[in-house]
Amino acid sequence: MSETEQKLRNEAMTLLEQGRADYIIGYEAGSLKFTTTPLITRDKDDIDRLVINPFILNNLSVFLGDISGKAGIVAKGCDSRSIVSLIQDQQLAREDIVIIGVPCSGVIDLNKVEKLTGKDRDELDDIAWAGDKAVVTIEGAKKEFPAKDVLMDDCLSCDMPAPQEYDILLDEVGPLVCDKELSRSQIKELEEMSPEQRWEFWKNEFSRCIRCYACRQVCPACFCKRCFVEETEPQWISPLPKWQDNLIFQMTRMIHVAGRCTDCGECQRSCPVNIPLRSLSKKMEEIADELFQYKAGTDKDAPPLMAAYESEEAEDFIR
Amino acid sequence: MSQESEWEPKILGFLCRWCSYAGADLAGTSRKKYPANIRIIKIPCSGRIDPLLIIRALRTGFDGVLVSGCHPGDCHYQTGNYRARRRIAITKNFLEYMGMEPQRLQASWVSASEGGKFAEVVSEITRDLKEISPNRLFTDERDGTKATE
Amino acid sequence: MKKVKKQDITRLLSQWQKEFTVFVPSRENGAAEMTVWDGQDVSFLDWYRNTVIPPKANFLLNMEIMFGFRKEDGSYNLELPAAATQKQLVFGIRPCDARATSIIDMVFKDAYEDKYYLNRRENTLLIGMGCLNPYDSCFCTSLGLGPAEATDVDLMLTDIGDDFLIEEVTDKGKELVARTEGVVEATRDDESRAGEVKDTAYKKVTRKIDTREIEKRLPASFDNEEFWEKVAAKCVSCGICTFLCPTCYCFDINDEMLKGDGARYRNWDSCSFPLYTKMPAENPREEKWRRVRQKVHHKYTFYPSLFDVIACTGCGRCIRLCPVNWDITQTLESVPAEAATGTEKK
Repeated sequence: MSETEQKLRNEAMTLLEQGRADYIIGYEAGSLKFTTTPLITRDKDDIDRLVINPFILNNLSVFLGDISGKAGIVAKGCDSRSIVSLIQDQQLAREDIVIIGVPCSGVIDLNKVEKLTGKDRDELDDIAWAGDKAVVTIEGAKKEFPAKDVLMDDCLSCDMPAPQEYDILLDEVGPLVCDKELSRSQIKELEEMSPEQRWEFWKNEFSRCIRCYACRQVCPACFCKRCFVEETEPQWISPLPKWQDNLIFQMTRMIHVAGRCTDCGECQRSCPVNIPLRSLSKKMEEIADELFQYKAGTDKDAPPLMAAYESEEAEDFIR
Repeated sequence: MSQESEWEPKILGFLCRWCSYAGADLAGTSRKKYPANIRIIKIPCSGRIDPLLIIRALRTGFDGVLVSGCHPGDCHYQTGNYRARRRIAITKNFLEYMGMEPQRLQASWVSASEGGKFAEVVSEITRDLKEISPNRLFTDERDGTKATE
Repeated sequence: MKKVKKQDITRLLSQWQKEFTVFVPSRENGAAEMTVWDGQDVSFLDWYRNTVIPPKANFLLNMEIMFGFRKEDGSYNLELPAAATQKQLVFGIRPCDARATSIIDMVFKDAYEDKYYLNRRENTLLIGMGCLNPYDSCFCTSLGLGPAEATDVDLMLTDIGDDFLIEEVTDKGKELVARTEGVVEATRDDESRAGEVKDTAYKKVTRKIDTREIEKRLPASFDNEEFWEKVAAKCVSCGICTFLCPTCYCFDINDEMLKGDGARYRNWDSCSFPLYTKMPAENPREEKWRRVRQKVHHKYTFYPSLFDVIACTGCGRCIRLCPVNWDITQTLESVPAEAATGTEKK
C-alpha cells in the first residue's frame, strides 16, 4: 500500500467517524486486471478497500446525484472540475461534499497498450510507471513505452492534474506529460477534411451505435432527470438505433453539455462500440473557449456558460 | 449547378413573437415582397430556441433554419436574445464541425418595425441556400430512408 | 470425426458462401461482431477471442421491421416483410454464445412462436469454434459449459495445430460436411489431441461461481433491500450489460410514421433503463437497486424456475464491457446466506 493510499484511508475514516461525510465515494480494486471500480459506502469496514493507482479511471462525480446526505469524494483534477461544474449548475451544494483531491499524472489507456503490444489487457502481466516510461510486462519480458504513447488522450491535454477545489489534498502534484497536439490529432484530421467527408465520417461512426446510452449515463454533466430522448410527447427522436437518430442524440447531447463537459473522457471510454466521442466533446470545449473564453468547472462562483452572456460578444453570424 | 439553382429551398423560421414575428407581419401588411420559401413558427422569445429544435428541423428535411429575435437590448424578457445568441453560436460552430454547411443555420435581429429588413433577410438566406444543394444530411441512400414527418 | 487444414479455411468458407450468407467475426466496423464475410479475409483466426456484439444480433435484430403500413382511402393497408429465406451460416460462434441461442429459443420458439426470430434461426447453421484463450472475465465452466465443448452448434471446430478437428454435432452439420470439399477423415491422434486442447482450455477459465449455492441463496435475497442497494450503488444504469448479453432478449416496439406510410419496428430494450417499466401511474422499478435485482434474478431465479436453466452462459461480456466494472459474479457470490428479516418498503 502506498503512502497516498494510507493517507486516503485515514482521511476517509476520519470523515465517517466525525460525521463530516455520510458516504465515501472512492475506488477499490476491480475484478479484472488493471481495473478499479467505484466504491460507494457508508460502512467503516469498507474503508481499507480504498485504493489509488494509475487505473483510477471513472469520474466518480456522476454518483453524487444518487447520494442523499454528505459525501466525501475522491477526485482527480478533471473530476474536481466536474464537481465544480455541478455546483455552478446548482446540482450540488459545496458544503454537502468533502473533496479528497488526488493529484494525477494521467491514467493509462489500455486500448493504446493493447494496440502497441498486440495483446489484450488480460494477457499482460503488469503495467507500471518507471519515471516517464510505462513498463509493460508480457510473459516475463519487459517493454518500455513513452508516457505520451500510453496515456489517455484527454490526459495528454490536461492542464489541471491536481484539483483546484478541494478540502483535503492527498499529495503533491506528480510529473505530468502533456502533448496537446497529439491529444487532438483526430480533431485535426477531421478539420482538414471537407464538410461532406466529415459528415460521412460521423455517419459511419454512428451507424454502429446501439443506443445503450452508456455515454450519457457515465457523464456527470448529463444530470437531467429525464433526457429528451425519452420524451414521447412530442417524440423528439426515434428510439430506434438508426444512424440519423443516433447522431442527433449525440449532437444534441454534446451541445447540451457545452460548458459543462470537462473533457474527462468517460463517454468515449464507456462506449462499447468505440465511437470516438472525445473528438466531439473536446472540440466543443475548444469552441466554448474560443468564442467565450470559458473553461468548464474552473470557477464555482461563475455562472454556467449557457446561463450567462455579455452584452457585446460574437455575433458576426447574425444578420 | 444550373439544375440545382432551379430548386426552391424550404426554410423553417423560429421567430420571436415580440419582434421578428411582428416584423414579418409588418412585411406582409406593407406588401413587401419576399420569397415564399419560409415557414414560420412563432416562439415566445428567441431564448426559447433549443439546439434540438434546429437539428430536428434539419432531420425533418428543411434546407435551412432561421432563428430571429429582438435586437440586443430590446428583449421583452431583458436577456432572452443574449442567451439565444450564445446558444446559436455554439450550435452553429459545432454543427459546422460535424459537417453541416454554414448556410443552413441562420440568425437575425429583426424588430417589429423592420418589415423591410425581414423581407431582405428571407431573400438573402433563400439566395444563400440556393447556392448549396438541398439538405441531404439525413437522407440515407443506402436504405432510402426518408426524413420523418 | 473429420478435419480440415487451416490454410483451407478460405476454401471451405468459399464453398459455403455459394449456399449461405456466411458470417464471420470482424472488427472492421470498430467493434467485433459477426458480419458478412468478404470472401477473403480470415485474419480473425489470429485475433478472435469473442465478439463484442453477441451473435444473437443475427436472429434478434436490433432494428426489425415487423410490418409496414400505408394509408390508403381512409384506412391502413399492412405489408408484411418478405420472410428471410436466405440461409445463413455463422462461422466461429463460441460455445457460450451458441448455448445462449438455445436459451433464447425457449422464449421465442417454445414458449410461443416468434416468426421473425424463427425465420432466421431455422435458416441458420451454427459452426462453433473452440475458445482456447478465454478472457479473465469468462466463467462458462461454472455454468456447465466448456470453452471448447461441442454444444448447441451444428459443427464444432477445434484448433489442433495445423488442422481444425470437425465434430459433426447435428444431421444438418453432417450433411454440410458431406458436401464440402477439402474435409478429410480425422485420425485417432487428432481426436486425442483435440481432447487435450479442450482440457487445457477448460483449465484456463479461472473465474468460478457456485451455481448450486446461488440457486439456494438468491431467491431468499429478493426482499433484502439493503443488500441490493449496496451492490447496485455503482451501477450507472446504462444498457451495455443487457444489450450485449447473449441471452437477453427484451425488446421494445415502435411505430415510425412517414408521410402517409410507416412501419412498426422492434428494437432491443433493457431492464436497466427506468423507462422500461414506466407506466402512467407508477414505475415499479424507479430505483436503481430494483432494476439491478431484476436483472440478476431474471437470469438466476426466474429463468430457472420457468425453463429449468440459468439464463447466463458465463461469456463475461457484462463484466468486461461494463464502464464501472460491475461484476455479476461478485454480486452472486456475495448474496447473504441468511434470508433478510426486513420486509421491502413500499
